[in-house]
Amino acid sequence: MQLECKTYSRDYGSEEVGQGLETESSASLVHNLQELRRSASLATKVFIQRDYSDGTICQFQTKFPPELDSRIERQLFEETVKTLNSFYAEAEKIGGSSYLEGCLACATAYFIFLCMETHYEKVLKKISRYIQEQNEKIFAPRGLLLTDPVERGMRVVSFLAVLCKGPELPTGGFLGEDTQK
Amino acid sequence: MPRSPGTRLKPAKYIPVATAAALLVGSSTLFFVFTCPWLTRAVSPAVPVYNGIIFLFVLANFSMATFMDPGVFPRADEDEDKEDDFRAPLYKNVDVRGIQVRMKWCATCHFYRPPRCSHCSVCDNCVEDFDHHCPWVNNCIGRRNYRYFFLFLLSLSAHMVGVVAFGLVYVLNHAEGLGAAHTTITMAVMCVAGLFFIPVIGLTGFHVVLVTRGRTTNEQVTGKFRGGVNPFTRGCYGNVEHVLCSPLAPRYVVEPPRLPLAARLKPPFLRPELLERAAPLKVKLSDNGLKAGLGRSKVPGPDSLTLGEDSIHSLDFASEPSLDLPDYTPGGLHAAYPPSPPLSAADTFSGALRSLSLKAASRRGGDHVALQPLRSEGGPPTPHRSIFAPHALPNRNGSLSYDSLLNPGSPSGHTCPAHPSAGMASYRSPYLHPGAVGDPPRPPPRSFSPVLGPRPREPSPVRYDNLSRTIMASIQERKDREERERLLRSQADSLFGDSGVYDAPSSYSLQQASALSEGPRGPSLRYGSRDDLVAGPGFGGARNPALQTSLSSLSSAVSRAPRTSSSSLQADLANNNAPGPRPGSGSHRSPVRQGPPSPPSTPRSPSYAGPKAVAFIHTDLPESPPSLAMQRGRIGTCSRGWGRRGQPRVPPGLHLCHLGLPEDRPPLRAPWSPASRAPPRGAMCRLHSAASSLFPGLSGPERDTK
Repeated sequence: MQLECKTYSRDYGSEEVGQGLETESSASLVHNLQELRRSASLATKVFIQRDYSDGTICQFQTKFPPELDSRIERQLFEETVKTLNSFYAEAEKIGGSSYLEGCLACATAYFIFLCMETHYEKVLKKISRYIQEQNEKIFAPRGLLLTDPVERGMRVVSFLAVLCKGPELPTGGFLGEDTQK
Repeated sequence: MPRSPGTRLKPAKYIPVATAAALLVGSSTLFFVFTCPWLTRAVSPAVPVYNGIIFLFVLANFSMATFMDPGVFPRADEDEDKEDDFRAPLYKNVDVRGIQVRMKWCATCHFYRPPRCSHCSVCDNCVEDFDHHCPWVNNCIGRRNYRYFFLFLLSLSAHMVGVVAFGLVYVLNHAEGLGAAHTTITMAVMCVAGLFFIPVIGLTGFHVVLVTRGRTTNEQVTGKFRGGVNPFTRGCYGNVEHVLCSPLAPRYVVEPPRLPLAARLKPPFLRPELLERAAPLKVKLSDNGLKAGLGRSKVPGPDSLTLGEDSIHSLDFASEPSLDLPDYTPGGLHAAYPPSPPLSAADTFSGALRSLSLKAASRRGGDHVALQPLRSEGGPPTPHRSIFAPHALPNRNGSLSYDSLLNPGSPSGHTCPAHPSAGMASYRSPYLHPGAVGDPPRPPPRSFSPVLGPRPREPSPVRYDNLSRTIMASIQERKDREERERLLRSQADSLFGDSGVYDAPSSYSLQQASALSEGPRGPSLRYGSRDDLVAGPGFGGARNPALQTSLSSLSSAVSRAPRTSSSSLQADLANNNAPGPRPGSGSHRSPVRQGPPSPPSTPRSPSYAGPKAVAFIHTDLPESPPSLAMQRGRIGTCSRGWGRRGQPRVPPGLHLCHLGLPEDRPPLRAPWSPASRAPPRGAMCRLHSAASSLFPGLSGPERDTK
């Protein structure tokens, strides 16, 4: 996991940013992230598995994976995972809003689902905004990309350690075996 | 009723749900039309209102239970399970509230099933909190729709009670004129309701008990917590609350099929000229050692030719990024393989095709139908086919295309076709292959998925970056090939040729294995070394319990047989579900692998590639010596990427097919091969020679004429 990654992403970003206005920088950053995501095949992927110690509620392990040791601070990682866990806990919370939603759905013979977004979906949107934000602010500068667990059925969170994309063919090795030449 | 992609419409499975719907709607309508008017007058207007509300509730819940996604897990991407290769155990334990719960590896979905998740064979999906598959709603009942199913049962019970009760009131009050139309109809409705009364009430009661105990039907029926503690229970009230009041979980499966391949991979892979070139090829299908016990019908010449063409055409599709194999004709593919000719090109084609179709089939948007027939074909052919596939493939499209593009006049530096590296490169995309495991500058997916067969996967769109890269990869491949060819020419002395086609696979697999061994992942033996793989007991809980058993039946040497070997071969078998007509001699191979771990077949993410793909190490090689278990464990593969090491230095006289550390490798041979000895070192494997003869234009090392 080389520094080149960081350089790459920064350079890429700066090219874009240099052209545009401040308002465009976020768009370009998003574009960069998409680029990074697309080049995920080049990336080392670190998977954080679900933590089932409390049953089937959605929680991810906060154990720090050794592969990320050089890329991100432990505390940042844990904070991110804990925040995600809290979001999911909020999504799955059985409380007032879920009761209401259930009753309303029953009363309308579930047609309400055609119009309304469920509580869980709202929280999922919040989560993906959060992940996007984290990627932009914290992970992309470190050459990492956090994927949304919902893409994988909430079984796993993956960190993509994006290696530099270069003219060489991608190797996509795990654990950095495929470092660029 | 979410269906796995590619499932064919089967009318038979809609019969129960249609019957249930018809009975429900029909009977209730009759009740409302014939019985309720009198009840409204005689008893109260609230009667039809009450019954109407209950009926609507029943319908709504029935619809939700029927049409709602139960919580299907999408298939895991290749990159995710690279850690869980075939050496990984079949079960993984996880601690749930202090109780050890076993997570089983799902061979179809490629992940360890979360607790309470189960794979529904009808829907062919892993479903979260799987309860059961209900034929009356033609859907799985899982996390998302259990509540609706439960409410459906409750409301249906209430509705039936209401209908029977009010019907009884009506009949008793019209006892004098039982022949009257209304009374007769009411009685008929009561009979229908009465008929289903006991089963429905019984089922409702059962589910009430399950809900209060916090268990799923699956857990209850399989006795998971019999005599033990249920770690998932939240207490009676908590369980009921969880079922009835928890928020609706989101869908995981993304509907729009992501098939970027079609768009991205087009250019290098669709080579009309290749098709033209390939079309006239007379493909003779040999049954490639599968003859024994395969029970394949022998197809005479014209059919084989047809088959070849079909294969070719199918392969065309296969080569297309979309891999949907829309025109795939499974029948054509497996017409059967006349035992005769040594030519395995057809096999490769079919193998490639099969693997492709399998691959496509397994993914969303893939043609599941294609998969089925393939599976039914039986195991052995597939792996072999796939083994050869790479040979054919490159010839067919990728490398050929590049050759034609870059080097129209010259014979493609097509070393022993066994190194379809270039071809693979072009082929690569569909499989994503990881080939590049350890093949940094050469992305070529040496691990062509066709080889892997059993692990067809739709490559994540994210993997196929852009054409330029693949093109460059192909170019690299070509260069590698040419270089190898040069090496071969200088070194090749004897040819392979004795064992015939049947040996090819083994040698090929060997080769693959060795090639893989060149792969970068030396230390990280993914699928690699035989001994690593096998460790009989170490297998324990291997994902392949069946394999384990079968392996144990083999000689001790064989025991080392890589899980992979069986895996790739067997995985196919297992997947194909057709262990049936396993050739007697080849029986080693046959054990059905219940859960080919990470089947070697598919190309994994670039980091992974080889290992899984390779698995063609024949398990039953009697003399798989401990030395085989080299650290890198890769048994030679012809066309695998050279990995970090670059191209292997080929000892003089060694056929490229035996690259790697040939001295460490005992000659592998297919059990069915007529020859009792392995082909001499340095000989071209039959596969290669076949391929070479098939494509005479492609120069390669001298070869035995086969």
